[in-house]
Amino acid sequence: MELRDCAANSTAFRRLLAAYENREMYLREWKEKGEKVIGVLGADVPEELLAAAGLHAVWIYALPGGNLPLADQYLEYAFDPMVRAEFEKLVDGTYGALLDGIVISNSTDVLIRLYLYLRELKRTEPERALPDVAYIDWLFSRNLLYQQYNEKTLARFREQVEIWAGRSVSDEEIVEASSLCNRRRQALRTLNALRTAVPPRVSGSEMLVAIGSGLFMDVCEHAQLIEQLAQEAASWPELEGVRLYYTGSAQVTTELYQMIERSGYVIVGEDHDWGDRFYERDTNTDLPVLRALVDRYMLREFSSKKSLVAQRVKALDGLVKTAGAEAVLFFTHVYEEPASWDYPSQRESLHSSGIGTIHAAKMHWPLTAQECAELKDKLLAHLQARQEGK
Amino acid sequence: MPEKSKSSVVKKLRATAQASAYQKQWFFDLKQQVELGAEFAYLNADVPMEIFRAMDIPFVVNQWWAAICGAKQMSSKYYELLRRAGYRDDLCSYCATAFAESLDPDDRKTDAQGKPLGPWGGLPQPTLAVTRLTCDCQAKIFELFARQHGATFYAMENTVARKVPLDWFDEIEDDWESFYDTDRLDLAVEELKQMIRFLETKTGKMFDINRLAEVMELVNEQELWYKKTRDLIAQCAPVPVTVVDTINAVMQAQWQRGTRWAADHARGLYEEIKALADSGEAAVPNEKYRLMWLGRGIWHDFAFYQRFEQKYGAVFMWSMYLAMGADAYIRHNVQEDPLRALAARYIGLEDFLHMPPWNSRWYLQQAKQNRIDGVVYMVPENCMQAVEGSYFIKKTLEDAGIPVLIFKADPVDARKWNAQSMTELVEDFIENRIINKAGEQK
Repeated sequence: MELRDCAANSTAFRRLLAAYENREMYLREWKEKGEKVIGVLGADVPEELLAAAGLHAVWIYALPGGNLPLADQYLEYAFDPMVRAEFEKLVDGTYGALLDGIVISNSTDVLIRLYLYLRELKRTEPERALPDVAYIDWLFSRNLLYQQYNEKTLARFREQVEIWAGRSVSDEEIVEASSLCNRRRQALRTLNALRTAVPPRVSGSEMLVAIGSGLFMDVCEHAQLIEQLAQEAASWPELEGVRLYYTGSAQVTTELYQMIERSGYVIVGEDHDWGDRFYERDTNTDLPVLRALVDRYMLREFSSKKSLVAQRVKALDGLVKTAGAEAVLFFTHVYEEPASWDYPSQRESLHSSGIGTIHAAKMHWPLTAQECAELKDKLLAHLQARQEGK
Repeated sequence: MPEKSKSSVVKKLRATAQASAYQKQWFFDLKQQVELGAEFAYLNADVPMEIFRAMDIPFVVNQWWAAICGAKQMSSKYYELLRRAGYRDDLCSYCATAFAESLDPDDRKTDAQGKPLGPWGGLPQPTLAVTRLTCDCQAKIFELFARQHGATFYAMENTVARKVPLDWFDEIEDDWESFYDTDRLDLAVEELKQMIRFLETKTGKMFDINRLAEVMELVNEQELWYKKTRDLIAQCAPVPVTVVDTINAVMQAQWQRGTRWAADHARGLYEEIKALADSGEAAVPNEKYRLMWLGRGIWHDFAFYQRFEQKYGAVFMWSMYLAMGADAYIRHNVQEDPLRALAARYIGLEDFLHMPPWNSRWYLQQAKQNRIDGVVYMVPENCMQAVEGSYFIKKTLEDAGIPVLIFKADPVDARKWNAQSMTELVEDFIENRIINKAGEQK
């Protein structure tokens, strides 16, 4: 990652970047110490429950590129490329004995299928020695019936966590873990305020590192580093560029953001799971513990995967306004389709508020050279149109 | 494949023609009712339509209507309308067809000769659009469809089965309670009550539990005839009918389930096929190879199923459309709790269709019962709802010695279909995987 001097000179940022770039660093340390680690797939796994049980959580991830023979063998065409790569790592033994279990939330349909396939693989091909796979079957539609059902679902997950931990987990421990997670969320919000400030002092790429590193490191340490970074970054140099909001596919590396920011933009917000959505909404520690967790994970801002078009239009309008964005980039990977149905209505609503849009759909992962060139052209054309007052 | 080419499909059963004629007349009657101000619901196939039947709320099922639009060769026009409105024109064809139709300003118009421009004169204006959240895209499409029509949108949730019974088809019709997680069933019953309250408020009609029990019994009666029909065809060699007849006869009547007409039609279908079987009638006199079709029907090219009969004696004799009625819909002991029995039908649709090993084990059992020589399996490219563990299905069948051809195609979007190359693909499969295998075994 290309670093500004201010970031390169920041001890906190360098430590976050190290965890972001070497994502097994903490995982291996924990395993060497005999501690338990749970792999997380899906953005709706309550980290509070794992932390309360003394279990470390690491997000399952994959990087673009390379052959995926097992994904090609087991998965149909309709699985998006990032999930294909994640599946490959889970099945090919990359994680090996590093994980004591995996938990998958139904944050997208494709993850539901992935869970079903892993479950069936464990049944039919036990020689693959996959870790235990737990599943959280949220109901995201907002009504009382589903809210109450979700509490039962989480109670079952709590039992699974206790099995992994080999002990019971008390309400007090969950409250304590929730407070810690809230502290980290607040720290990230403070840092993000420096990105949404006018002018910004933290770039989208830097924020991506700050958030993403937390998916692979100790919660408390991450919170401390983010708090330290937020203090330091308050005096970082101001950034120039068109304020761009990013909506669409998760970005698990900084390449795309850096390319965009080199093109004359500053990414001041995003709605994907490796970005702002990670720290949105606190867990209310005044509520009974499971109800509080349902409140946080069920009632966060609507993701494009589990929402209606009207909900997403309203959500994006609000997020863009809060971030003070001047333009929005819609970016989706090939076979990652749900947001495609939101896009025309979202674009219409944004345009009516004078917000410009740039659209890139069916993108490969990694981007092909041609896609990259075309996206740069679109970014440039948008800048020129703005300058010409169109 | 030229979309405008006339299908050369040959159907032989009276019951198939009767179902088509009835459905068409029913549809035109429905249009009249809607024009007079009746409530009209547009439902996805996995919505518990028995509730609507019991409340006398007329409905059209999305998958059936998409099939009609596909058969009427409307896809090119519709997907162009989507593209012009800013939507992708290559997504979710099965679910997006009706939404695309709603964008057509000519849908209810006629040409200079007075011929309707929309399929059967176009879909009447629904007042309700109901789906389940069994796919990340589907609810959005239904919502857009509802907005376009000024209809009220309603969605029901979906839960994933934790129980994974292997041979559910043996006992589920009686012992359904034990095959589903209790909390899933409890939730589904509450969801039904919630939807009933919504429909009562929306339509002013009262839901009567006794009427639902009658509907459920009629559904059981209809599906039992399908079971007898499926079993009869499985026993016959050569088979008296192929999927070209059974798909059309069953799919259309299935959307009328819970009516006396549908139950009687199912009995008539059985009796007609029984008479053919008793007289030794063969759908394909030179039947040599029995083929199973997995996946949705190729609605825009139904003649495809018959292209391998003369040359190879290869007969598509099994599809899910008849067999799912036979094995997955019957729920006895209705009177105790009709809502719970209904819940145990509709929450299971996703399980047995799209979830291994529910689906893979069933297909294997069906392949054995029907003495299948080869399986042709259509997997849509970009429909996540139809992602159902094709690897596991293929492996389960092939481990049992039944070859499987998987290919990518779309059930309603004819633009993605090349009849010649698909025919060659299946011919190659028959020659190299079925005939050669049979020769080797001899």
